[in-house]
Amino acid sequence: MPNPATPQRVVVTGIGMLTPLGLGREASFARALLGEGAIAAAPEPITRWLPQALAACVDPAFTAMLDKNEAGLDRATQLAMIASREALRDAQSEKWQYPPERLGVFAGIGMGGSTSLEALYLRFHEQLRRSIESNGAVSPTVVHPLSVPRLMSNAAAAGISMANQLRGPSHTYSVACSSSAMAIGEAFRNIRHGYTDAIVTVGTEAMINPGVFIAWNALRVMAKPDSVKVAASCRPFDRDRSGFVLGEGAAALILENAECAQQRGARIYAEVCGYGSSSDASHITLPSRDGQVRAMQMALCESGMAPAAIQYLNAHGTATDTGDVVETEGIKLVFGDHAAALPVSSTKSMHGHLIGAGGAVELALTILSMRSGSIVPTAYLENPDPRCTLDHVPRVARHGQRIGAAMSNSFAFGGTNVSLIVRNPAA
Amino acid sequence: MTLQQIIQEYLIKQAGIEPSKFDDPEMMLADLGLDSLGVVEMLYEVEDRYGFQVQDPYRYGTMRFVDIVADLESTIRARNNGELPEPKAAKA
Repeated sequence: MPNPATPQRVVVTGIGMLTPLGLGREASFARALLGEGAIAAAPEPITRWLPQALAACVDPAFTAMLDKNEAGLDRATQLAMIASREALRDAQSEKWQYPPERLGVFAGIGMGGSTSLEALYLRFHEQLRRSIESNGAVSPTVVHPLSVPRLMSNAAAAGISMANQLRGPSHTYSVACSSSAMAIGEAFRNIRHGYTDAIVTVGTEAMINPGVFIAWNALRVMAKPDSVKVAASCRPFDRDRSGFVLGEGAAALILENAECAQQRGARIYAEVCGYGSSSDASHITLPSRDGQVRAMQMALCESGMAPAAIQYLNAHGTATDTGDVVETEGIKLVFGDHAAALPVSSTKSMHGHLIGAGGAVELALTILSMRSGSIVPTAYLENPDPRCTLDHVPRVARHGQRIGAAMSNSFAFGGTNVSLIVRNPAA
Repeated sequence: MTLQQIIQEYLIKQAGIEPSKFDDPEMMLADLGLDSLGVVEMLYEVEDRYGFQVQDPYRYGTMRFVDIVADLESTIRARNNGELPEPKAAKA
C-alpha cells in the first residue's frame, strides 16, 4: 500500500461513453467533433402534454448491449453498466493485479432511479383506480419486490461493484449537475492519498420521463425548439439561446495510481491533477460568480499550474441567460489576460444537459480533445451574446491543437461548483 | 395456465431452476435454493396477476412446493367468492 503521507499521482486509463451522440466512446467523440447534435423532439408521452418539449435521448439500440441479468435494472443503472464495461475493457482491467479491497467505484447521479420511481407511482395510482372499481378485490399495494433496490441512488455503484468485484469504497454523489464531476474529484483524492489503487468513476442519468420532465418544465429553463433546425435548439453563449435541453446517458473513467499504471504498461489518457469544489451558499438555482471562481482557483492551486497552462476549457455552458454570462465573467476573472486566448466550448449544444452524468461525459470529451488535439466545438453558435466574448470555438471543431492541460467545469443547482483539471501525459 | 404452471415457468425461465426438480411432489421450497428476496420475487408473479399481497411469505420456507401452490390458490379463492379468476397477463 502506498504511503498515505506521499501524494500519489493519478491517471485516467480507460474511458467509456454511452451518450445521445453515440453508443460508445469513439462514436460519441466523433459526432461531437462533427458539431452535429442529437437534440430532437422529446418522446411522445411528454410531447403529448408539452408539444414543444425537446430532449437528447440515447439510441434505444443500447438495450442490445445489456447482459441478460441487467434487463430488470433501472435505465440509469443500465447505462452505467454499459459505460463502465467499455471503460474497464479500454483500461485492460483484466490485467490488473490489485487486491479487490483496493478497488473502488465512485458514481454520480442526480435523480437516482427516476424511471423506476415514476413507474412505481404510476402503478400505485393505476391500482388505486382498479381497487376502487373492483371494490377492493385488487390491492393498490402490490408492487415489484425489487422496486427499492432498483430506484435507490446507489444502484449503479452497487451494480458495478458486484459485477467487477470492487471491494473497496463504493461512493455515490448526488449533487445535481456536479454529481459525476465530484465523484471523479473525490476518487482522484482517494487514490492520491493512498486509500485505493484504482477506481471506476461513473456518471449516469436517465430521467426523460413525463413526471420529471414536467417538473423541469415548470422551472422555465428549458430551450424552445429552433424554428429552422430542431437539433440546433440549444445554443450556449449565443444571443438567441433559450435554455437547456435535458439529456440522458453515462460515461465512465478509470482512475488509477499513476505508478501502478505505468508499471503494468497501461495506456495513459491523462493525468488528473486538480480538483476544486465550492458552494455558493446564496441561491438554490441562480449561479454565483464568486463560487465558480473559487472552484476554478482551487483546482488550479492543487494542480500547481499557472492559469496560462490551461489550453482548453469545457464550460458548464447550459445556454441559460444567466448561467452563460456568470461563467464567462468567472473565467475572465480566473484567467485574466489568458482568457482571451483560451478556447472555451460547451458540448451541451450537442448532447444536451446530462445532469448527473454531465461532468463525466464532458471530462471524457475534454480528455479525448486533449489527446487528439481536436477541440470539440460549441455547435450552432451563430451570434455570440456580447456578454459572452470568449473564444467559444463556434460550430466547427478545431484540429491540430497542442493542449498541455485542460479544465472542465460543472456547476449545480444547490450552488455546488466543481472544476477538474487534466494534464496531457504527452506534453 | 394453472397457478402451478405460472410459478414453475417463472422459476425455470427467470430464476434458472432445473425443470426436473418439479417432478418430485415432495420437493420443499428450500430445495430450490432461493434466498429470501428470491422467494418474494417468485410470489410477486402471483401477486401481480391476482392483485393481492401474500401475508407472511417466510412461512413458506418450511413447506412443500405443492402445498405453497395450494395455499396460494385457496387465498385467491377466498378473495374471489370461491372462484379462481383468469389471471391478468404478466407485465413485460
